[in-house]
Amino acid sequence: MLHTKIVDSKKEKILILNAEKFISNSKFGASIYFLGSVRNINDNKKVTGITYDSHDEMVIKSFEEIYNEADQKLNIKDKSVFIEHAKGYLKLGETSIIIAVACKHRDQAYVLSRFIIEEIKKKSPIWKKEHYENDESVWLKGNPFINEKV
Amino acid sequence: MKIKLELFGASRDFSEKNYLELEVQDKASINNLRDIIIQYLNKNFKGNKNFIKIVKSSAFCSENNQIISDNYKITKDQKIAIIPPIGGG
Repeated sequence: MLHTKIVDSKKEKILILNAEKFISNSKFGASIYFLGSVRNINDNKKVTGITYDSHDEMVIKSFEEIYNEADQKLNIKDKSVFIEHAKGYLKLGETSIIIAVACKHRDQAYVLSRFIIEEIKKKSPIWKKEHYENDESVWLKGNPFINEKV
Repeated sequence: MKIKLELFGASRDFSEKNYLELEVQDKASINNLRDIIIQYLNKNFKGNKNFIKIVKSSAFCSENNQIISDNYKITKDQKIAIIPPIGGG
């Protein structure tokens, strides 16, 4: 089972409660919640917030591909996965991403959660513009988009 | 032919709009499109080196959300998105 969504920060917030509702199932004995949030310092600069940009359709597609790859690469077929990523401006401490996974056993849940966030970093077209105390803003460098199919 | 180049991430600084409209020749490749974008940047941003670097390190995506190779031939008016280096989470 998979849930994916891009959450527009102007309209709503990412809520852990929604993730809990989605992955909760008595057939799974292990659940992991990973939350990413806006940090106050980056490269010795005082950060005041981050604007997230996303190619929504490609991001959702990448989440689905990552979920399916977990079947083949990790051989974890029985699982529940909830992924939401924010879009728009977020203040310090606000949640930018939630990855909630539920599996039968804890080993699978830990591996799956880590796998998903690392793959998102490589494959999901999302960008960050950091805002600093002195009113400067900078798009973060990022990593070239990896597409194994081209 | 006309390409509507949708801008994302750092490439949003290339224009006040969310896109650029660019003229390309029939059967132009993605590599040709890169050169055309760089010509635009030379003209409008005095060849801003950071901007050019972004174009050279970007991937491109078709309107049906497929990443397209550098050899892909553009044969009709279409929307193409530029995908600069990524970093979500």
